[in-house]
Amino acid sequence: VSTLRQAATDKLRAWAARRHGRDSLPIKINRRRIYILPTRFGVMLALTLVAMLIAGLNYNSNLGLAFAFLMVSVALVTMHHCNRNLLGLQVDVATEVDAFAGREASFEFVLQNDSDVDRRDVEIRCMSASGIRSVPARSSESVPVAVPVLRRGVTRFVQFELRTRYPFGWFHAWTYVQGSLIAYVAPSPHGSRELPAAGGLGSVSPSETRGDEDFAGLRAYEAGVPLKHMAWKVLARGGEAAVRSYSSLAAQPEWLEWSSLEGQDTETRLSQLCLWVLESEAAQRLYGLRIPGREIAPARGAAHRFACLRALAAYGIGEPR
Amino acid sequence: VSPKPLSYEQLLGIFACLALALVAHIGSLPVWVLVTAAVSGGIRLLLARRDHAAPPRGVRLVIAGLAIGLLFLQFRTFNGLSAGTALLALMAGLKLLETDRQRDIYVITLIIYFVGMSALLEGDSFWLLAYLIGVCWLTTATLLRVTTTLPITDWQRSLRYAGRILSQALPLALVFWLLFPRFAGPLWQTPDDGRSAGSGLSDTMSPGDITELALSDDVAFRVRFETAAPPPQERYWRGPVMHDFDGHTWRRGYPVSMGPPALQPQGRAYRYTLSLEPHEHNWIFALDWPSHWDLPRGVLTTDYTLVQPDPVSRPIDVGATSYTRVQWPEPLGNLSRRKDTAPPNRNPRTVQLAHTLRAAHSDDMEYVRAVLGMFAQQQFYYTLRPPKLADNSVDSFLFDTKRGFCGHYASAFAALMRAAGIPAHVVTGYQGGTFNRFANYWILRQSDAHAWDEVWIDGRGWLRIDPTSAIAPERVEHDLSDAASADEPLSSRWQRRTPWLADARLRLDALRELWRERILLFDQDSQQKLLEWLRIPEPDGQKLVILLTVALTLVLCWLTWAVRREVDPARKEPLIRAYSRLCAKLTAAGIPRLPH
Repeated sequence: VSTLRQAATDKLRAWAARRHGRDSLPIKINRRRIYILPTRFGVMLALTLVAMLIAGLNYNSNLGLAFAFLMVSVALVTMHHCNRNLLGLQVDVATEVDAFAGREASFEFVLQNDSDVDRRDVEIRCMSASGIRSVPARSSESVPVAVPVLRRGVTRFVQFELRTRYPFGWFHAWTYVQGSLIAYVAPSPHGSRELPAAGGLGSVSPSETRGDEDFAGLRAYEAGVPLKHMAWKVLARGGEAAVRSYSSLAAQPEWLEWSSLEGQDTETRLSQLCLWVLESEAAQRLYGLRIPGREIAPARGAAHRFACLRALAAYGIGEPR
Repeated sequence: VSPKPLSYEQLLGIFACLALALVAHIGSLPVWVLVTAAVSGGIRLLLARRDHAAPPRGVRLVIAGLAIGLLFLQFRTFNGLSAGTALLALMAGLKLLETDRQRDIYVITLIIYFVGMSALLEGDSFWLLAYLIGVCWLTTATLLRVTTTLPITDWQRSLRYAGRILSQALPLALVFWLLFPRFAGPLWQTPDDGRSAGSGLSDTMSPGDITELALSDDVAFRVRFETAAPPPQERYWRGPVMHDFDGHTWRRGYPVSMGPPALQPQGRAYRYTLSLEPHEHNWIFALDWPSHWDLPRGVLTTDYTLVQPDPVSRPIDVGATSYTRVQWPEPLGNLSRRKDTAPPNRNPRTVQLAHTLRAAHSDDMEYVRAVLGMFAQQQFYYTLRPPKLADNSVDSFLFDTKRGFCGHYASAFAALMRAAGIPAHVVTGYQGGTFNRFANYWILRQSDAHAWDEVWIDGRGWLRIDPTSAIAPERVEHDLSDAASADEPLSSRWQRRTPWLADARLRLDALRELWRERILLFDQDSQQKLLEWLRIPEPDGQKLVILLTVALTLVLCWLTWAVRREVDPARKEPLIRAYSRLCAKLTAAGIPRLPH
């Protein structure tokens, strides 16, 4: 039965994809794309209601019938409420997320509720992963959904699903969104080589390279920066959290080279490079990446790190359009 | 279904709902079923309180097997309302015992809904319906709290949401209820549900055993006359007639399948509608003497009681025509004469008295008057608390106690007639009634129950004699009740003393009658009238279904609109809407709204 059900679901997904075409995010869920069916509990309820109606008719009891009809109507109203729980929700997703092979790509979905009613128990499902949140009236909530990714590369999810069983769990309303979620799955970061020294001068430990004497300016705060490097005065003046940056030996750009990993196979090399990227970023160094067909000029910061990881993920596969 | 374990609070909620639903069945279900359900729920709650899981499967199976076996021993069937409800109640209680997951709660809520409805199959009061809708509301709110993955913190919120859904369901339910086609009879017969305990009159009468006649204010039936009502001395509503007397107890005797003797109606015809409350007997209290009735399976017995084959176990309306004055063109049949002149066994002093009186009055009518005169002149008292009579009840009453109510007098009178060779029998039924001037109908309560006699006088036929009315008014014991002679209905003394209370009561009864007429007895006829009222030509079942479909479509459209309107971000609160209208007007008048 479950395979039959799976087949039916797959058919429906494909049909919905054809019917609605590709969606550009953010998207507002309209009523044409919400599907609804009774759950197993809903079917049990329906059977109970039929039994109640038959009993009421058989005993010719107008009060019994009144109660049975009230329950039937409650079920119908509930169907509308279940449908409404998704209706008009706006959904968006942040795709620039870290993903490493063998772990999860953790997408951040954002549900925005512009209406005056609470949306409860809205589940977002992508592949086998799901996240569930309630979105109060006139507010938005972010829903992290961690989708497991196995292999390095560019993994694309063409469809995700919003679903709800609220209220009462009698009905199950859902909608498919054809928004493409792209996870750049970087290689799993591991390796045995040490980080190459900046400018090729040999390995220098980060703490030694950080002299207080070589103040070079301010840069944006990132998690993991030593507290003594925080620009507290800037923060106190009401500015953004900033970190004092120092030009020291670390300021010498360091190249993470494909060619320095001679004699290893591709994936091992990529894994090593990935580890180096993470280490260099954590150490606040300037680093560049050079792999066959791609060169990323030295820099640092989240965007740079993401560009490097993305290059590693896409190596040998090519960027998607 | 998430495998989230159930909390104590959720269990408590569902247990409370089940208990409330079962409260509606107190009295109709065996006590042990209710106790078992309550105890198993209680055990589970105690376990949950101490963070234990449900008891092991083996234990539960044994308990369930025992309980269901016991139930079958008691009912011998699971078909039928009482047995089915008992089974469900038991299952819900035992399900509570094993409740570990949401799934079990789902099943219990469904049982609660069904058990609630089955209470309405037996009861018919407005308050019961209101109570059960309340239980349904609470159950639905509890269900909401159980089914949401992310917990809802406050009860008020869930109650409000469940209430909102219920109120949105009301119009839809109304359309269903009004227009869903009703069937004439049951779809299948269910076994007798043990509701045989009848109220009101029974088919035996032994006044000697009763030492206190409790006057119940329960309504026996209501009557609406299409014509003017007959005068009080003609308002006798006929119930079972007693022929067999063993000296102590009167019984109906074997039915004589001869059909009723012919009679010729005289005077005016009274057309009326009887609205009978269920009394679990098969007789219909028609006004003496019935000539037509719109009861398809109703027949007259030889002694002119209107009966139907099945007991009256649901409220019914019977339209009928009666004549209060009749003539009997044929002589009394031999069989009837023999039956109704059987001597009053075991009452030798009565027979002696009859012979003495008969010797002085050879004419039948004169003899009747002599007996009535004896009741009027001697120290006979009317009381609702008569002393207990010996086995020879008529002797004991006539010569020793001389105190009694209508049954005593009717019994003694008939015995005296029979001892003198005059055919006589006791008729039980109702007499009089209270007029409800607010809604123009008569109420007959159990306290209006009465017994009188009929004697056969050759040449005149059956003649109604009400010996109770012969008692002198000063010998009616007022200290017990405001019960007066049979001409006046017995009703509670409070109401006589406080007229406004009586009025309020009549108004309340008018409401009850409206409820009964419009809601409880709503049927095919009512639906036809509804269609006629809507000016639909030639109403029939098919048109009803079409109308139902159309109405449902309309209401569903409304529902869709009402539900979706709430999530429409363009919707504004009335105040804001008014404000933006004001702004628009001001702008038009040349005062633009400032950006802030």
